[in-house]
Amino acid sequence: MRSKFAANCLLAALALAAIIVVAMPGASYSHQDRESTFASASKAHPAGTDALGRDRLVRVSAALLLSLTGAAAASALTTAAAAGVGVVAAFGPESIGWIAILTCDVFLAPPWMFLLMIVRSALPLSASPMSSAVVTFVVLAALGWPACARAVHKGALNLKTSDWMLHAQAAGLRPTQLVRTAVPNLLPVLLPQFLISIPAFVIAEANLGAIGLGIGEPLPSWGGMLLELDNSAMLFETRWVYFPIALLIIVLLLLEAVAMEA
Amino acid sequence: MKVAGDVVRWLARTLAIVLLVIVGSTVLVRFAPGYLSDAREMDSRYGDAVRAELSVEAARSGTLTHLLSAELQGWMRGDGGVSREYGVPVSELIVPRLAVTGELTLRAIVMAWSLALLASLFSSAARRPSLLWQAPAALLLAVPTAALATLCLLAGKGGPVLVMALLLSARDFKFLHYALRKAWSDPHLLQARAQGVKAHRLVLGFILPSIRPQLSALASLSIVTALSALVPVEVIFNVPGLGQLAWNAALNRDLPVLLSATIIMALAVTLAGLASDHPGEWRSA
Repeated sequence: MRSKFAANCLLAALALAAIIVVAMPGASYSHQDRESTFASASKAHPAGTDALGRDRLVRVSAALLLSLTGAAAASALTTAAAAGVGVVAAFGPESIGWIAILTCDVFLAPPWMFLLMIVRSALPLSASPMSSAVVTFVVLAALGWPACARAVHKGALNLKTSDWMLHAQAAGLRPTQLVRTAVPNLLPVLLPQFLISIPAFVIAEANLGAIGLGIGEPLPSWGGMLLELDNSAMLFETRWVYFPIALLIIVLLLLEAVAMEA
Repeated sequence: MKVAGDVVRWLARTLAIVLLVIVGSTVLVRFAPGYLSDAREMDSRYGDAVRAELSVEAARSGTLTHLLSAELQGWMRGDGGVSREYGVPVSELIVPRLAVTGELTLRAIVMAWSLALLASLFSSAARRPSLLWQAPAALLLAVPTAALATLCLLAGKGGPVLVMALLLSARDFKFLHYALRKAWSDPHLLQARAQGVKAHRLVLGFILPSIRPQLSALASLSIVTALSALVPVEVIFNVPGLGQLAWNAALNRDLPVLLSATIIMALAVTLAGLASDHPGEWRSA
């Protein structure tokens, strides 16, 4: 419990620091300082600059905020969809439940990465960076719900066969009333699913970006910054290129710690 | 008789899932917002009239029924259709790469299982969970595949097998540690330990047999995780496997290749589920 509190505090501190950096006057993730490309840490650029002379600290801060917001929103969508499907499958007619679980299996059959690639490859060529970011996280949410729905379905089935639920049925509660009573009791299943999905989506976005199918430039993203590491000429210029990867691992460790405690 | 019925039911379900994956992937592709865009539209050498012609042609050949029938016909013929990028049957591109991917995945899984089993046996036998084993596993779980692959490449140490094995072993370790820890605390094992039965005899005679169902489930999970990690690993290490082919197809909008690769992966994942679905029935059959 103490480690969850510490992880939450550290995450909040990181997010706050990122907001301050991004909101500072003159800070821009896309501004190019062509006089100082590949620069190491300096007063003007505390974490150096990238190949186009863009401030790395501002870009990392923006990527942190974008990834946390996007992953949390996608996770909320996933959890809501999973709750809906899981509850309907458990409390609805048997045929509906069978179809819902078969749909989950169909979605779970191909590995995520392949489905993500299919959808990302079919985006318009002229898609703006922001729409590529929105599409990336929406697609993650759209593909992430089946595993979560299976867990919710199992929890809902356990609830359905519990003594108090049988008693409620015997007492004449209508199916809608039963569902309304059951959903709050599924929170212990839904909350961990929500928290587990956040780091999973952050990792998926980073992996997708690292192979060039993630969020479009100049919008900063973890995946985009991993691509920077391909530029080996830059690595000899400054070790600060490792800063985004180090911060990404710290953020993921904190997110995992929060999820583990839930 | 019951086993035969189970097998038929399982086969029917697998076939239904694969067919639905084909239909679902095709629908996904057809209704994706940029399906009708063509890279040639960005080429300044083409005039407006040619671009309009390209759009009309794309719309004509891009109906859902046309796409679905082309995909299914390709699979019926056994060649998976024709690659848009290379103009050759998809099977010619996929078959040589399947061997590369299969070998990489198999070697990674064997290495990962050896690492995870060894680490979890040591960690679970201790009185308390030790940071020595838990910390590296937690760290590896927090590193995206692409990041680990890039770091290995830059450091000049380790290759695709090691990267995949490390990622898989961290996940496997997490499950094995809990399963083994639970097994070690069974009353009959505590009694045997108190009576001085050697640890290796307990592991081979009691612990491993008792966690066999979890091991079969973990085997299918390992395959799914390995297949998900394939694309970044093969792309970053330039391994000519199925993952790299799919990535290349995604970048070049070669949808017949991408769909075929996805269907093969779906088939592999569904078959991997076989181990965890009915281990008892298959054994007794």
